[in-house]
Amino acid sequence: MADTQFSVTTSPHLRTTVTVSSAMRDVLYALAPITLVSIYWFKFNAVFLIAVCLIVAMLTELLFRKAMNKPATLKDGSALVTGLLVALCSGGCSAWWVGALATFIAVGIAKELMGGLGWNRFNPAAFGRISVFLLTPFFYWLGLAFSPLQASFGGLDVITSATPLALLKQGTALPDLGSLFLSFPGGALGETSALALLIGGAYLLYKEHIRWHIPVSIVAGVFVMALLFGDHSTTPFYLTPFYHIFSGGVLLGALFMATDWVTSPITPRGRVIFGLAIGILLMIFRLALGPTEGTCFSILIMNAFVPLIDRLTRQRKFGEAPARPAPVAVKPSLEKSS
Amino acid sequence: MTVKTFPRGIFLPHYKEFSEHEAITSISLPKEIIIPLQQHIGAPCQALVKVGDRVTAGQKIGQSEAFVCAPIHASLDGTVIAVEPRPNFNGKNVESVVIAVDPDQIEPTWPERDTDKLSTAEIRSAIKEAGIVGMGGATFPTHVKLSPPKPIDTIIINACECEPFLTCDHRMMLEMTEALVEGARLIARVVDAPHIVFGVEINKPDALEAIKSNLGRDEHITIVPLAVKYPQGSEKQLIKASIDREVPPGKLPLEVGVVVQNVATAIAVYEACRYQKPSYERVLTVSGDAIVRPSNLKVKIGTPIGFIIKECGGIKGAPTGVESDEEWFSVPLPKADPAGKIILGGPMTGWSQSRLDIPVTKGTSGILVFSPQMITETDYKDCVRCGKCVEHCPMFLYPNFIGLYTEQGRYDLAAEWGAIDCFECGICVYVCPSNRPIVHFVRETKEQIAAAARAAQNK
Repeated sequence: MADTQFSVTTSPHLRTTVTVSSAMRDVLYALAPITLVSIYWFKFNAVFLIAVCLIVAMLTELLFRKAMNKPATLKDGSALVTGLLVALCSGGCSAWWVGALATFIAVGIAKELMGGLGWNRFNPAAFGRISVFLLTPFFYWLGLAFSPLQASFGGLDVITSATPLALLKQGTALPDLGSLFLSFPGGALGETSALALLIGGAYLLYKEHIRWHIPVSIVAGVFVMALLFGDHSTTPFYLTPFYHIFSGGVLLGALFMATDWVTSPITPRGRVIFGLAIGILLMIFRLALGPTEGTCFSILIMNAFVPLIDRLTRQRKFGEAPARPAPVAVKPSLEKSS
Repeated sequence: MTVKTFPRGIFLPHYKEFSEHEAITSISLPKEIIIPLQQHIGAPCQALVKVGDRVTAGQKIGQSEAFVCAPIHASLDGTVIAVEPRPNFNGKNVESVVIAVDPDQIEPTWPERDTDKLSTAEIRSAIKEAGIVGMGGATFPTHVKLSPPKPIDTIIINACECEPFLTCDHRMMLEMTEALVEGARLIARVVDAPHIVFGVEINKPDALEAIKSNLGRDEHITIVPLAVKYPQGSEKQLIKASIDREVPPGKLPLEVGVVVQNVATAIAVYEACRYQKPSYERVLTVSGDAIVRPSNLKVKIGTPIGFIIKECGGIKGAPTGVESDEEWFSVPLPKADPAGKIILGGPMTGWSQSRLDIPVTKGTSGILVFSPQMITETDYKDCVRCGKCVEHCPMFLYPNFIGLYTEQGRYDLAAEWGAIDCFECGICVYVCPSNRPIVHFVRETKEQIAAAARAAQNK
C-alpha cells in the first residue's frame, strides 16, 4: 500500500524554468551582437581569439574540476561566458596565447580554485584580464623568445590595440561620438560598438537576469565625474561625459561584468552604491592613471567590498522599524571566561 | 477600481482554469473513513468512542479540556472499527477513529436559530462546539483566534485564494455568498470590530460582484480588490495590502487590531451559529494536470484521498477499471522517472503524499495530481547570489544566507538572517536558478532553534 510511485518532496511543488544554464545561455545570446561586430572589424583575428578563449575556458574547467574530484559543470555554461568575456576584453590584435593565459587564470584560479561558481569573490573575466595586463612586461620577453607563438592573419583596416583614450594620450585624431556609438574599430573586441552592447544589455534586462541598478549607477558615476573633472578646455567636444560613457570598456563592464550575479551586492541599495563606486573609480583611473583597464580594475576593487556592502545595506524585515545592525559572522571564541 | 497589493511577492501562473467553472458537487459514500483526533494546531483530542460503538453524522467523537483545541465530530453514520494511529498528511501517525460507513445514511437535520438573537458568548461557544478551525490550511482553532487579548477594530475576510490551482474558496463565494457575508458579520460581532473588509483578488470578478450585491447598505463592510500576486492570501501580506498596517515580526495580526478569517471558516461559523452544525465536511478542489475530472467537491472529513481521486475519474494514464477497495489505495501513476505527485493543499505550500489512504482533514483545501511533466525540480547546486530570492521575499528576508548558513550548521546566523520570520511561502525556491531547497533549510533551522531552546529550558 505504501509502495506507490509518487514523488515526495518538500514544498513548493512549482518551479520557474529559469536555471543557471538557461541564464548563462541568455548571456551568450546577449553577447552575440558585440561578438559579431568585433568579428566584422577584426575578421579572422577575432574568430581565432574567441575560439581559443572558449576552448581554453572549457578545458580549464574540466581539468580543475577533475583534479579536485568534483562533478563536471560544463553544462551550466559559465565557463563559456567567462571565456567569451575574456576574449571581448582583449585587444583585437592581441596574441592568442595571451588570451589563452587570461582565460586559464580566469576560469582556473579566479573561479574553480575559489570553490567554483557561486563562491568566487572576484569577477573571473576581470581577474584574468588584469592578471595578464600586469604580466605584460614579461610577455614582451616571451614574445621575442617564442616567435612561433605569433599567429598572423594578414593586415587589418583597424587601429590596432589602441583605445580612443590611448589615442588621445598619443595625440592622434579621435573618432567622433556618432561613430563611437555605432561602431569603431579600436581597443578591445568588446569595445567596438556601444549600440551592440546596449542591445545585449536590453535583452538581459528584458529577461530579468540583470536589474537596472548597477549599469545605470556606473554610467551615472562616470557621467558626473566626467562633468566635474573632465578636461573640457583642451578638447571641448570629444571629452564630453557621453564620450567617456561610449568609449572604452564602460558599457561592457557596466552591462556584462559588474552585473555578474556572484560578485555583485544582493540588494538594490547595495547595487547602487557598488555601481556608483565603480563609475567613480573608473574615472579616477582614466583621468589620473593609465588610459586602459580602468573598468576591470574598478570592478575588481569593488568586488572586494561586496560582503561589506551587503552587511551595511541590510534591509529591514517586514513589519520591522528601519535600521538594524547586521550580524557579523564572528568566530566562536575558544577561551571561555569562567 | 483601485487594485491594492503588498510589496514584493511574485506573479505565478494561475492554473485555475482546470476547475474554476466547476460547481460544487458531492461524491458517493466511501466504505471507510479515517478521522484523525488532531486536525488543528494545539492539544490533541481524546477519543470519546471505542471500537464497536455506533456513531452518527455530527456526533462528537473527540475532545480535550485544553483551551487551544477544537473538538472532532463523526462525519457519517457507521460503526467504529478501530481507534489507532494512522498516517496523516504531514507524514506523522496520528491517533484516528476509523469508521465503517453505513450504506444507508440519514441526512442529519439541523434546527434553525435566529443568529441576531445570539449573544457574543453564545456565538463563541457555538464556534467552539462545532470544532471550527482555520480552514485555509493553518488550522488554528477559531474560537481561540476570536478571543483576542487586545481590542480589534477590523475583521478581514481572506478571499484571495492566491495559491495556483485552488478554486474552492472562489466557488463558495459564488454559491454560498449569503452565508459568507453573515458569517463575517457574526465574526465581527464576537470581537466587537466595527469594520469588515473583504480582500478579493481581481481574477474573481464574479465573486466580487456576488459579495457586493449581498452586502445591502451596510457601511461597515468594504470590498478591497487585490492584485493577483502570490502570497496575497498570507495574513500579514493581506493586512498590509488591504488596510496598510504592518504586523511586527513574531507578532500576530491582533497586534495591529486585526483578525483575519478565511472564506470557508466564515461560512462554517455561519452554519455553526445558524444550525449548530459541526465542522465535519468541507469544500475542496481536486485539480492538477493528471486528474481526469477536475472538480470542486463537498466531502466528509476523513474521506481517504484515494477514494476522492477515484471519484474524479482517477489519474490520467493509470489503469482503468480499478474497483476493489484495496486497489484504489494504490492507483499507480504512469510509469516515469521522476514519478508524478499527489499534493494536499496548494502547489506552493502543500504536502506531497506517498500514499492514498491519507484522510481529508479540516485544513485540506485541495488535492492536486501532477503528472511527471509538472515536476521540474532537479538536484540543487551552489548559490550563485543572483538575488532573486531576496528581491521577491514578501517578508524582506535573506533566503540565500539562510540556505548557506543552514548548510554550514550555523543555525544562529540562519536565524539572524530571518529563518524564524519565514512563513514558508516557497517563492525563494520557485525562483532559484540553482533549485536550492530553501524552505527545507528554513524548517531545519527552525527545528534546531526550537530544540536548542528546549535544551536550555531543561537545564
